[in-house]
Amino acid sequence: MYEERFDKRGFDELRPMEAETGIIPNAKGSARFRIGNTEAIAAVYGPEEVKPKHFEKVDKGIIMCKYDMLPFSVPDRAKPGMDRRDMEISDVITNALNRAVILEEFPRSMITVRVYVTQADAGTRCASLTAASMACADAGLPMRDLVAAVAAGKIGDSICLDLTKEEEDFHEGGATDVPIGFLPSKNEIVLLQLDGKVTKEELSRIVEMGKLGAMKIYELEKSVLQGRFSNESKS
Amino acid sequence: MTEIKNYEIVTPGTLLSENGEGGEGTYTEGKKVFSKFLGTVQVYDNRISVSPMTSSYIPHEGDNVIGRIIEVSTKYWGVDIDAPYYTRLDSRDVNFRTEIGELDKYLALGDLIYARVFRIYANNSADVSMRGSNFGKLESNRVSKINISRIPRLIGKEGSMINMIKEMTGCEVLVGQNGVVWVNGPEDGKAAALAAVKFIDENYMNQNMVESVRRLLENVRGKV
Repeated sequence: MYEERFDKRGFDELRPMEAETGIIPNAKGSARFRIGNTEAIAAVYGPEEVKPKHFEKVDKGIIMCKYDMLPFSVPDRAKPGMDRRDMEISDVITNALNRAVILEEFPRSMITVRVYVTQADAGTRCASLTAASMACADAGLPMRDLVAAVAAGKIGDSICLDLTKEEEDFHEGGATDVPIGFLPSKNEIVLLQLDGKVTKEELSRIVEMGKLGAMKIYELEKSVLQGRFSNESKS
Repeated sequence: MTEIKNYEIVTPGTLLSENGEGGEGTYTEGKKVFSKFLGTVQVYDNRISVSPMTSSYIPHEGDNVIGRIIEVSTKYWGVDIDAPYYTRLDSRDVNFRTEIGELDKYLALGDLIYARVFRIYANNSADVSMRGSNFGKLESNRVSKINISRIPRLIGKEGSMINMIKEMTGCEVLVGQNGVVWVNGPEDGKAAALAAVKFIDENYMNQNMVESVRRLLENVRGKV
């Protein structure tokens, strides 16, 4: 049984969040997003000529996304470079961004998104997707909506929001992790994965809780993106 | 729903109006108008548009651009105009006589040119042309880049800003529609003009820009 969370949060409470944009001068757009001990930085380059050429699409642009965990991000050193897990996460982030960014405006071109995880404490794919969508907005790409992503899940018998690594490894009763990517103003899910075991009814409760958490992240994203420009006008 | 005000900063996906007309930088779903960019809102009567804070240059026919030669072939030059597509300058589209096979005698790698985009192909690659007396090779190599959504601030109302920079630094300043700014003139004037361009690129949201740029130019010229 899991009655109180390890870090004394409420079951529907997010870890403390922090975000920032415009951190990489050479990139067209960039962002950093931290939630609890998980932190991701994202940079967006382009649109530019497609390389390799055979990826080119005649009616729309493409997004090339790479997710990587830095060696020092986890207690055991992560081997640098792409492994199978990194490739999977790169793919799910690309799929989510394909839905958010209006690619029809850049036919035959390529947008490069690089995401690095500097600290990992569960929920890295959600933090990466949030950072990547903020970087895309910062780069001035046309978008249907910002993506807000958060993990929800079931620990023991209780439904929880924003799991930590400690909770993901919870043994008695098992833990289930459901990362959710969400377009809040469209009420559209762009990323949904499930690792564990839940019933149909539980899954819909998890998704509902994830949507509520994503709304809070969306508010933060909006205020950070707007705040960057109103600060500039003051200085 | 709260009413959207003029000059408000919005993020992509913000609902702007439920029965308005969408202008530039917006998209509609049914009758609802949403913002497409991170940018500022402009409201005219019933029409709402969003101008982005940053944007990328996509070439259009008739744009006057500043480009750099990145490739010399037997019959054409490859030009980098800061666009995502390949751009060419054919040896027949220049305002001087050329001999095929010796094109690097006229324009070598790294030279800057001022040209007009005159043809966009179906595969989005563009041709530029230097025909006409106001186009040609640019002698100085001092350039800076400004985001294209900030060019109106650099030029100012009826050219007030750009003319002030020209007068105070004694430089020629040329702004390409692809966001490349070229300056030529005395050495200290060039540095001051480029500093002003950089200042406008970074602080374009400021209210009385003319005054702060004037102060900046006076300070820079005093130090150099």
